[in-house]
Amino acid sequence: MLRRIAVAVALLLAATAATGARAAAQPLRVCADPDYMPFSNRARQGFENKLALVMGHAMGETVRFVWHSTRGPGGFDQFLHDTLNAGLCDVVMNVPFASDNVLATRPYYVSSYVFVYPKKGNYEITSMDSPALKQLRIGFEQDTPPENGLKLRALILHATPFDIGDTPGESPAEILTAVHTGKIGVAVTWQPSIGYFLRSFSGLAVVPVPNSRALGTVEQYVFPMAMAARKADTRTRDALDAAIAKSKPQLQSVLRSFGVLIYDGSGATGT
Amino acid sequence: MRRLAFFVLFAMALAVAVAGYRTVAAQQQRVALADMAQDSGQWVMPSQNYSSLRHSELDEIKTSNVANLKVAWTMSTGATRGHEGQPLVIGDTLYYQSAWPNHVYAIDLNDYHIKWQYTPKQDSFAVSVACCDLVNRGVGYGDGKIIVDTLDDQVIALDTNTGKPVWTARNGDPAMGQTLTSAPLIVKEKNVIVGVSGGEFGVRGYLTAYDLKSGKRVWRAYSAGPDRDTLIGSGFSGPKNAGTATWNGEQWKVGGGTTWGWYSYDPKLNLIYYGTGNPGTWNPSQRPGDNKWSMTIFARDADTGMAKWGYQMTPHDAWDYDGVNEMILVDLKMNGQTIPSLVHFDRNGFAYELDRRDGKLLLAKKYDPSVNWATHIDMATGRPVVDSKYMTKAGTNVSGICPAAMGNKDQQPASYDEETGYFIVPTNHNCMDYKAFAVKYKSGFPFVGAIVKMYAGPGGYRGAVIAWDPIKGEIVWSDHERFPAWGGTLTTKGGVSFYGTMDGWFKAVDTKTGKELWKFHTPSGIIGNPISYTHNGKQYVAILSGVGGWAALGLAAGLTEPTAGLGAVNAAQDLSQYTQLGGDLVVFQL
Repeated sequence: MLRRIAVAVALLLAATAATGARAAAQPLRVCADPDYMPFSNRARQGFENKLALVMGHAMGETVRFVWHSTRGPGGFDQFLHDTLNAGLCDVVMNVPFASDNVLATRPYYVSSYVFVYPKKGNYEITSMDSPALKQLRIGFEQDTPPENGLKLRALILHATPFDIGDTPGESPAEILTAVHTGKIGVAVTWQPSIGYFLRSFSGLAVVPVPNSRALGTVEQYVFPMAMAARKADTRTRDALDAAIAKSKPQLQSVLRSFGVLIYDGSGATGT
Repeated sequence: MRRLAFFVLFAMALAVAVAGYRTVAAQQQRVALADMAQDSGQWVMPSQNYSSLRHSELDEIKTSNVANLKVAWTMSTGATRGHEGQPLVIGDTLYYQSAWPNHVYAIDLNDYHIKWQYTPKQDSFAVSVACCDLVNRGVGYGDGKIIVDTLDDQVIALDTNTGKPVWTARNGDPAMGQTLTSAPLIVKEKNVIVGVSGGEFGVRGYLTAYDLKSGKRVWRAYSAGPDRDTLIGSGFSGPKNAGTATWNGEQWKVGGGTTWGWYSYDPKLNLIYYGTGNPGTWNPSQRPGDNKWSMTIFARDADTGMAKWGYQMTPHDAWDYDGVNEMILVDLKMNGQTIPSLVHFDRNGFAYELDRRDGKLLLAKKYDPSVNWATHIDMATGRPVVDSKYMTKAGTNVSGICPAAMGNKDQQPASYDEETGYFIVPTNHNCMDYKAFAVKYKSGFPFVGAIVKMYAGPGGYRGAVIAWDPIKGEIVWSDHERFPAWGGTLTTKGGVSFYGTMDGWFKAVDTKTGKELWKFHTPSGIIGNPISYTHNGKQYVAILSGVGGWAALGLAAGLTEPTAGLGAVNAAQDLSQYTQLGGDLVVFQL
C-alpha cells in the first residue's frame, strides 16, 4: 500500500514537473485571518481577500480561503508554521519582501510607517529626529521599527506601547482613537494597518517616517511587501510572480481603495 | 578548611537554644532572620540563607538510605505556567507562590490544610510583555510578613497569620515593559530588596529597597546613568560616571541592566551582592561602548544602596548573557589564605570567584568546555578575550556560538557543600546561530530583527549537573541531562544532592561522585529549586514541579516555530514527548 502511494505521488510529481505549472482545476488555497480588518476577515472584506480574488482571476484558479488566526500564541511565525509551512494552503497574501521563513514573490507594493497626529497641533514632524517628538506622548506598536527608533533616542520614556498585532480582536483603529481622544499626542504605526480607518477620522495628519542613518546605523521604516509561497514551492512562487506582473494595476487599485499609502518610487502617493 | 562565612559570623548566635526557634518563629517574635536561617529545620529565605548556600545540615536522609525515599504529600498549585521558585518553611507552616496568576498559599504542616490563600489583583498587560514565560521564583519572609513579588511589578506584604495585605508598593509599570519574576530578599528585618525584569523592552534596570514595616521606598539604585542614579559615590572603587560615559548619547536612559536574579548579603560587611542583565538595545552595533553597568556584579551597602564595587563580566554584550545569576558567599582557602569570597556561575559560561570585600578577581574559568565566545578572562584587566569569530554584529550571520543566549546556566541556582568543598551546579549545554537583521512580520506590521536559533551543544546533550571544585577551578563530575538542567540544586549533610529535570525526574545523587542514588517521576517537568525541612523531627525534601520558563517556552506558550521564544523553541521541541504543563508541590520523606 505504502509503496503504491509513493509511486503515485512520484508520478504526480513527475507530471506537474513536466508541465512546469500548477495542476489545473486546483484552487488557489490562501491562508488568511478570519478577524483582522483591514487585512482579512471571514466575510472576505479585507484587502488581502480582495487581492486574492484578483490573483485567482489572473491565474485562472478559484480561490479557497483557509482561515487561521495570525495573532494566536507565537504570532505570525507560528501561523506560518501551522498553515503555509504545514501544507494547509499555498499562499499568504501579505508579508515583507525578503522574509526568510517563506518563499516571497517580488514586491507588489511599497509602504511605510507613518506619524499620525491632530492637524490642529501644527507639529513639525518629519522624521524620528524632529524635536517636536520630545514634547509629545508617543503611541507605537511594540516590537516594530519605531520601538527601536524611540529607544535609540530615549523617546520611549514618554511613549505608550500598543500590541494590536499580537492581540486577537483588537483593531489597528485603536491607535487612531487614542490620537483622536488625546490619550497620545502622536502615533507611529504601519500605514496599511490604518489607511482604511483614516476616513472615519477627519482632522488627522499623516506623515511618512523616512528611513534613517542619522544615528549611524540603518533604521528601516519603508518596507516592500510581497506574497508568500512555501519555502520549496518555487512553482507556486513563479506562478504568483507571473500573475503579479500581469495584474499589478488591479492589485494597487485594490490597495488604494483601502486607503493604503503606496510608494511609487518618486515619493508617496495615496490618501 | 573552607569555612562558611556566616558560620563564623554567627557562631555565637548558634548558642541560642535551637528548641526556642520553632515556637518563637511560630509566634512571629523578632528572632533575627540570620539566626532562623541557622535552623536547618526551617527554610526562611528563598536562597535558604544570606550566603545563598542552599545546603541543608539535615542528615536523616543520606546516601545509604535515600533509595527508600517516598512521597510524603503533594498539592496542586492551581497554576500551569513555569514554577521556578521554592517554598519557605517557617515554624509549622509552609508558604509558596505559584506561577502566574501568582497564587500564594500558607499550608499547615500538621494536616496539610490551607490556612490561607491569596491571589493578587494584577494588570494582565504584564502577560504580554513578560519575556520568558510567566514564572515566579518565590516569596520572602520577615517581621511577621510574607513578601510577594507579582508579575505586574507590585511588592505586597501579607500578614503571615491571615494572608491579608499589610502594604503594597508599586515597583514598576508593565505598560513600560517592567515586570517582576524574582524572589525578594529581606535584610536585617529592615529592608526588602526587590529587582525588576524587562530588559527586552529597554527597561533601565534598578534594585530597590523598601522598608519592611511600611513599604516605603528606602533607596533605588539604577544599573546605568549618572552616578547619582547608580548610587556611586566616594566609597566606590571603580571609574566615575561610567554609567553615562560608556554609552552613546542618551542611550543609557534605556540602558537595560535589569536585576531579575537572586540577591545575597554579607552581614559583617553589610553588603548586598547581585548581578545586572544585558544592555537595553539588543543590537550591539547600535550601542558602542562597554555599556556600564550592565552585566555587572555589584556590591552595595544594605542601608544606603551606595555601591562599594562593581565588576563588569561581559562589557558590550553581544550575546544576551545577562549577569543576574546567584552570588554564593563562601570562604575559600587560596594560596594559603582564607578569603571571604563570592562565587558566581555566569550565563556567559565562566565561573567567577572574587574577593567579596573589594571585588578583586581570584579566578575565572570556563565551567563548560564548549564555551567559545571568549578564549579566557584576562586576569589583569578582568576583561574577556573575545574570539571575533563568534562576535555578533550588524549584517553578519554567525553560527556555532557557545553558549546560546540562555547561557551555560541561567537563573537556576547552584548549591555549596562544605564537606566536599564542591559547588553542585545545574547547567545548560546549548549553542546558537545568530542571524542579524532578518526581515520579519508581526501580524500587520513588518520589522527587522535578529533571529536566534538554539540547539544542543557538542555531545548532543542539552544540560548537565556538575560538581565544581572552586580551588582548582575544575569540573569534578558531570551528569548529562537530555534537557537544560533548569532547576536548582540542594546539597545536604547526608552527602546527597537533589535536583529536578525538565522531563520530570526528581533525582538524588551522591555529592562526592554524582552517582544517581534514587529518582522519582513527578507530574510535570521541574524548573524549581529543592528545599529541605523538618516537621515533628522528620526530614522532608520539597520541590515545585511545573515545567515552563524560557527553556520550555515552546511548551508553556504553545509555540512550535523553531525560532520563536527568543530562539528557545528549537532547543526543546521534543519536550512534549516527556511532560506537560501543571504546577504541583511534591514532598518526600523516608
